[in-house]
Amino acid sequence: MIDINSIISEMTTEGSQVIIPLIQQMLGLLPDIPMIKLMVSFILWKPIFAALICPGFSTLGILLLFFPWIERKLCARIQWRVGPREVVRWLGGIIQLLADTLKFIFQEVIIHKDAHKFYFLQFPLLTFIPALLPILFVNIASADAEYPLVAIQSPYAIQIMLALICLFPVFILGMGWASNSRYAFIGTVREAFMYFAYEVPFIIAVLAMIILFGTSGSVAITEWQSTWWRWGIICNPFAALAFFIGSAMATSRLPFEIPEADQEVAFGPFVEYSGIGFGLVYIVCYEKMYVLSALMTMLFLGGGNGPYIAPLGDLSGAVWFLLKTIIVMTTLAILRPIYPRYRLDQGLGMGWSAILFLALIALVLSIIMRSVGMVL
Amino acid sequence: MEEGEKNRNIRILHSGVFTPLRRWGTKWSLWPCHFVTSCCGVELAHAFACGFDGERLGTLNMGIARQANFIIVEGTITRKMAPALRIVWEQMPDPKFVNVIGACGQRGGIFWNSYNIVHPSDVVPVDFFIPGCPITPEGLLRGVRAVQEKIEGRDRTTIEFKHVDLPSVEKEEHRVPTTPKIFAPTPAIRVDVPREVDWDFGKEVVNNLKAQLGGLYNSIAITDKNRIAIKTTPENLMEVARKLSDSMGIDHVKNVNVIDVAHERKFIVEYMVSGYSKELMPVIITIFTEIGRETEAEAEPGFPSLTPLWESANYSEREMHDFFGVSFEGNKGMNEKFLLAPDTPEYPLRKDFKVEEELYVLEEGVPLAPTIKPPEELTMPVSEETLDEAEKNDEMVACIGPHHPGSGHLRWIMRLKGDVIVEVNPDPGYVHRSMEKLAENRLYIQNVPLFERANISDPINMNLGYVRAIENALGVEVPERAKYLRTIMAELSRIGAFFYDAGIFSLFTGHSTGFMYVWAIREMILEAIVRMTGSRCTPSFIIPGGIRRDISDDVLELTRNFTFAIDTRLRKFEDIFVTNPVFIARTKGVGVLTREDAIRCGIVGPFLRASGVEYDIRKAEPYEVYDQLDWEATTGDAGDCLGRFLGRLEEIKQSVGIVRQAVDAVKGMPRGNVISEEILGEYKEVSDDIRGYFFRVYGNLVLPKGEWTSITEASRGTLLYSIISDGESNVPYRVRVVTPCWMNLRGIIEASKGERVADFWTVYGSFGYFPPEADR
Ligand code: SF4
Repeated sequence: MIDINSIISEMTTEGSQVIIPLIQQMLGLLPDIPMIKLMVSFILWKPIFAALICPGFSTLGILLLFFPWIERKLCARIQWRVGPREVVRWLGGIIQLLADTLKFIFQEVIIHKDAHKFYFLQFPLLTFIPALLPILFVNIASADAEYPLVAIQSPYAIQIMLALICLFPVFILGMGWASNSRYAFIGTVREAFMYFAYEVPFIIAVLAMIILFGTSGSVAITEWQSTWWRWGIICNPFAALAFFIGSAMATSRLPFEIPEADQEVAFGPFVEYSGIGFGLVYIVCYEKMYVLSALMTMLFLGGGNGPYIAPLGDLSGAVWFLLKTIIVMTTLAILRPIYPRYRLDQGLGMGWSAILFLALIALVLSIIMRSVGMVL
Repeated sequence: MEEGEKNRNIRILHSGVFTPLRRWGTKWSLWPCHFVTSCCGVELAHAFACGFDGERLGTLNMGIARQANFIIVEGTITRKMAPALRIVWEQMPDPKFVNVIGACGQRGGIFWNSYNIVHPSDVVPVDFFIPGCPITPEGLLRGVRAVQEKIEGRDRTTIEFKHVDLPSVEKEEHRVPTTPKIFAPTPAIRVDVPREVDWDFGKEVVNNLKAQLGGLYNSIAITDKNRIAIKTTPENLMEVARKLSDSMGIDHVKNVNVIDVAHERKFIVEYMVSGYSKELMPVIITIFTEIGRETEAEAEPGFPSLTPLWESANYSEREMHDFFGVSFEGNKGMNEKFLLAPDTPEYPLRKDFKVEEELYVLEEGVPLAPTIKPPEELTMPVSEETLDEAEKNDEMVACIGPHHPGSGHLRWIMRLKGDVIVEVNPDPGYVHRSMEKLAENRLYIQNVPLFERANISDPINMNLGYVRAIENALGVEVPERAKYLRTIMAELSRIGAFFYDAGIFSLFTGHSTGFMYVWAIREMILEAIVRMTGSRCTPSFIIPGGIRRDISDDVLELTRNFTFAIDTRLRKFEDIFVTNPVFIARTKGVGVLTREDAIRCGIVGPFLRASGVEYDIRKAEPYEVYDQLDWEATTGDAGDCLGRFLGRLEEIKQSVGIVRQAVDAVKGMPRGNVISEEILGEYKEVSDDIRGYFFRVYGNLVLPKGEWTSITEASRGTLLYSIISDGESNVPYRVRVVTPCWMNLRGIIEASKGERVADFWTVYGSFGYFPPEADR
């Protein structure tokens, strides 16, 4: 027999509920029915809130629904066009992606004869694992909040996130392999090569930050960057640059859209996916972008740090965090209309020379700063 | 196509509990899989570029079948392309829709009696036809809206039309008009009709030739200024060619042509050759021989190939083999079809293959257009040899195209070793609409719009070349004002074509913004052409003897203003694309063609100039008013992709300069008189506007006997028209057109050898290849 009251008291101990002054009164008005109270406290219980609401599923979902629209609109503006607009005209086409999603859902899913059926179907779903799990380790509270807002607190949060992110290409390779088509094959090999190109500098850049902070727990990192001149991007801009380029490569954004180059290999690993299968891989790319941008915000842009917005209470940090994440995502998106595409060998060469060099400088800088005991 | 396919997709959409969601989602998310088969594709690109922006409707242009749910068939579907269309359609997930744009896609349009076309509606179920030749972007978007409405359930077939009874009119007896065409029954065909011209250098050359060739030739004649014809025998042909190459420095073939003289049971085979040394540049030497037509024993008469000596003859010889069944011994490609589909009729350009005649009255029971059986075979095999060889050397064979976001409409069969291209074999002909055959069945003047369709990204130059060949034959002098106006239009067209290429190039390097920017500029150029001629892409405005009608000063002023806008926008394009470090890294030093290579493969135009050959016909053999204006031919010597691209950007600037100067000059001239009085004959009063008198003046045009060759500098290079007239018929006996893209094809193959896979698209894009122009 579960003792509901003890669970409630567990969930409502000091600091483990999300407090939002704006809606606190509304919550107070809720009738004192145990079930509803239980549910509300459950949702507002910080680990659950982080996993389900922000920065977890709900935020992700909303972002995924609107970000591609933002991206298409932005591209269009840069290209002297208007972009998607006619669907629900008075909303300016903002629900374009909803239409796309519905179409994908109701479209036929074709599994061609040569595909390895079992893997072909499961890989698009499996990619969600590395794409979703890292979010659990993201802390979105600001440094001055007394209690963190994170689903899983771990002293090794960054390492775990990194490990999960690096798992990602494996699934794409799987998709390409299961598709068993020539373009998919070429695209897959390209993906594998690009993976080699960015991974080392990417990890070194993160390492540099961990050394600088002296910790890899997501909460401690946010606390370290409590004032703006201690943000990672200001202390170690080299690492930030290496990380940013690394994430552009990892998310296959232009100029590194090499594995998916549609004029060359027709979406590479995804060439054979149709209907909801393609919908999933299309979405997963944005999800990966979100995770990497969140990581970037955490490491370099001070996480949830920012002026405290009183009515939002604990959500104040979340707002700043999301804002920064969206800015990073938008920057990644703007790369698309600005740059042409590099060639595979050029991408590889860059990864192993310029960016690696940048990452190493960042590493050395971090070690120096750390060893001279620099505390700003 | 089975019966049940019709409206199946609508049925799918309207079934199940989620119907409203399903309908709404599909309606706003039609992702077209564009099928740029032919010229209408240019207008499709305009519809999705910044001028019209089809993405507003939620249609995201996709090139890939699996992810798209909507095909837009652009124009002609040839016999070779039809299987591809069907395969793509089959690959798409349900529910899927098909729109066909352009007259060609309905009942063939201007190519209705071609031997190589198929009606798309026989291949796939079509939802909507959008008429026009070409369609306008607005029309295309209207078609998208129509599909959306259809998805919503508003079916056009249910519209009730109101019936009105009109008072019946007493029927008059109409005389059935006879066909205006006159075919001479047994025409005398000669390609070396001598002509007295004032050309000292030519006489010198002829004397030289006579001395050198000794007994190898039968006759040598000057047929026109800058044209010499040498008659020889098949046995001596190679020897003659070698002598020309060694002693005179003749280094490339401009044209390989076969003329079927069926009633004399012979073929005339001719090679038009020339050299890139200063004095030889404008000269074309025709070496021709006669061979017997097929005997009982062998269907394909043999003939020595000149490919071993001049590689630039290679593809044209293979083309002639397809058309006439003349086997060029020594050319490796003789055992397979090159341009034609496996199931097109054999040897379609021989005179005994007849195409359908135009009907002048409708008779009951006789269909308007011929019924054409669509091809049944859906496979597109790659030749065994290629596969075997690749297997032996541990290479991978990848086919790019004919339907691929980055293939254009031909198929590239690549042999890859890792990331390096060993060899690319082209498989062209997916847009071959058989212009040369159709031209033999139309009046001279009816061919003007026909040849314009070869390339509607550069229509005026296509038009000008053909008209110049006629004027040359008739010896007509064009009025000064018309010359200037033609130059203005030709240069606008050139700018437009170069911007087209720049847009495609930026797409191929993954830069969609560059594409949009230049398409915005093209929109302005088209606007200027619309104001002048009334049509966006296919004005057919240049006619023998001048232009259709005079152009007013305010339109000219507008054009001049546009040139400044072009300048500004071009700078923006340069900022975002040309100076982009990634772009430079991708193109510099890639796909290099040295001067020798370039000449050997026979590439032409700005691409040849980028390799260091100073050959611009506008300078070498000036036509219109190019010699009266101040401009420079652009040459470079890098020969790489960047060089080819920057060269054309520079030419755009020169062309803008030409337009401005010409506009200034025209404004000072008296209005009117834009058609030569020699050609108008008794209708002199219409010399400023031919409307109403067109057929009276041009209907019965007959060219003097002989071969009339004109070369002009179209945007992508040397454009050669060669009209053979028997002097009696008012239709040409044979028209040979060699388009620059056809010659440049060889260059792409050569330049991409040994480069990396991704560089293929850089090379391809840098060549400004336009498949409809190449395939004709
Ligand atoms: S001829 Fe060209 S422009 Fe005309 S309808 Fe056909 S494809 Fe379109």
